[in-house]
Amino acid sequence: MRVVRWIVIVLGLLFAALPLVWMGLSSIKHRSDTISQHLRWIPAAEAPTEPESPAFEATLESYRDLQTVHAGAQHSFWHHLWNSVIIGVLSTIASVVLGTLCAYGFSRFRVPGEKDWLFFILSTRFMPPLAVVVPVLIMYRALDLQGSHLGLALLYTVFNLSLAVWLMKGFLDEIPRAYEEAAVVDGYSRFGAFVRVVLPEARTGIAVTAVFCLISAWNEYGFAMTLNSSGAVTVPPYFAGLQGNIEGMPWPQIAAGALIFVTPIVVFTILVRSHLLRGVTFGTVKQ
Amino acid sequence: MGTTATVTRHRGGSAIAWSLVGPTLLLLIAFNVFPLLYNVALSFTNRELVGDESRWVGTANYTRVFSDPLFAAALRRTALFVLCAVGAELLLGFALALALVRDFRLKRTVLAIVLVPMMLSPAVMGLYWALILNGNYGVLNQVLGEIGLPQPQWLTDRDLKFWSIVVIDVWMWTPFMALIALAGLSAIPSHLYEAAEIDRASRWRVFARITLPMTAPLLGLAVLLRATDALKQFDLVMATAGPNDAATQTLSTLMYQVVFRDGKIGLGSAFACVVLVVVIALATVFTRYLDHLRRARET
Repeated sequence: MRVVRWIVIVLGLLFAALPLVWMGLSSIKHRSDTISQHLRWIPAAEAPTEPESPAFEATLESYRDLQTVHAGAQHSFWHHLWNSVIIGVLSTIASVVLGTLCAYGFSRFRVPGEKDWLFFILSTRFMPPLAVVVPVLIMYRALDLQGSHLGLALLYTVFNLSLAVWLMKGFLDEIPRAYEEAAVVDGYSRFGAFVRVVLPEARTGIAVTAVFCLISAWNEYGFAMTLNSSGAVTVPPYFAGLQGNIEGMPWPQIAAGALIFVTPIVVFTILVRSHLLRGVTFGTVKQ
Repeated sequence: MGTTATVTRHRGGSAIAWSLVGPTLLLLIAFNVFPLLYNVALSFTNRELVGDESRWVGTANYTRVFSDPLFAAALRRTALFVLCAVGAELLLGFALALALVRDFRLKRTVLAIVLVPMMLSPAVMGLYWALILNGNYGVLNQVLGEIGLPQPQWLTDRDLKFWSIVVIDVWMWTPFMALIALAGLSAIPSHLYEAAEIDRASRWRVFARITLPMTAPLLGLAVLLRATDALKQFDLVMATAGPNDAATQTLSTLMYQVVFRDGKIGLGSAFACVVLVVVIALATVFTRYLDHLRRARET
């Protein structure tokens, strides 16, 4: 049984990590080595003399070439990464602020139909994006929001509200009400008690919620490609758009860019690892 | 939902309460409920992507949806995708969780690495998997070639590409199942196992009578969450095969094709409405299940 256990663990590790390791290797290759017929997996300082050698010449060229504008695209990778950052950060701030306020309302006040509202909020998470994308497109055309940072950020904000409200409600419910009451007795206003007592107590929850909102905005593809195909294009549709370009796929640059793109997510995942379960189950399952 | 604590809840603060929850509810109504209703209205018209003209066409779009062999095929394929991908993720994730449940050195590090794929962008990782699975220069076929095995065309063979997408989905989402299963397994009180040991229950009996039933509620939750997600499968198909590939077309990519490539908004909206009915049914089951779980935990 011990042996079986370790085999499963090792296989799981390899299955999860090898594609990312390969991505790292591809990012330090020349393009010809990424599309070679032979397996090339050993980085070397110089190009091997034999054509069938498993070694390849390591180079950081692809990282430097991230600033080139590829055929079929209008801007370089950095431009699109910057779009992803603006849209991701804006929408994360907005959904965390709105979600925290809303969750505080549900947690501490009587709201008529509270339970129905909460389930309505949760149900919006299950909506297939394509069921609303056409009306949103028509709305955005009328409001001139298509292809703008603001438009996509607004959409992601709304999309993440269900997660933000449910996660924050779980965290806020855990803060004893006595803390606020004590603060009110001490002369704080209700708002003052919220800012000075509740928010500091909820900082872990706020951080975890922010990470999950950021990740989902960062990774989103469907709305990004349909609404922002011309302006404020984020990284996922930019990469997807390189498919079928006449020069062939610039694999080393894609690997380098993808690596840069996923690194913050990997770091955040590790930072919130003890709250991952809560995040993916809308705060309903706690460890 | 916290009704026991109403004593300390602020009374008479309903104006404040509504000003706290109001903005969120208004945004959700403006960007979810309104577009949804708008979508229903559009499904009865012949509106197109280009131009503003549209005419009421009654249920013509729905007649087309239900008689369209592409829709039937996409529906079957999506169902097969949900069944196979989520099924494989459940089995593999549960196996992984069983292996990881006991403490060992570096467990936290191993866990963090294993869980990473589910946090990454499906569109970007799907594109990268296309390089790994490329029939001519992909690393998978190179390794298969080195050890003398056949090298199939994973992404261009008509019979294979659907399964390649299933494999990528399994790569991304097995960690999700493992994470939730692990939580279920860790929550099983150890005295149950001790009692089973005293009774000299066989290993299989312990698994069937303790481990499985104790983790089943959480596994159910995980399956429902994954199923509603897999039903919307779009990113991976777009990244590996594009929207108009007869062998891999799912409901979402078909809808994309109809609206954005063929430009038929009215027909696409009818597609969306039909799909929505299925999603709503699943989501209802899900929310009921959550409620049931919470109540079971509270008592």
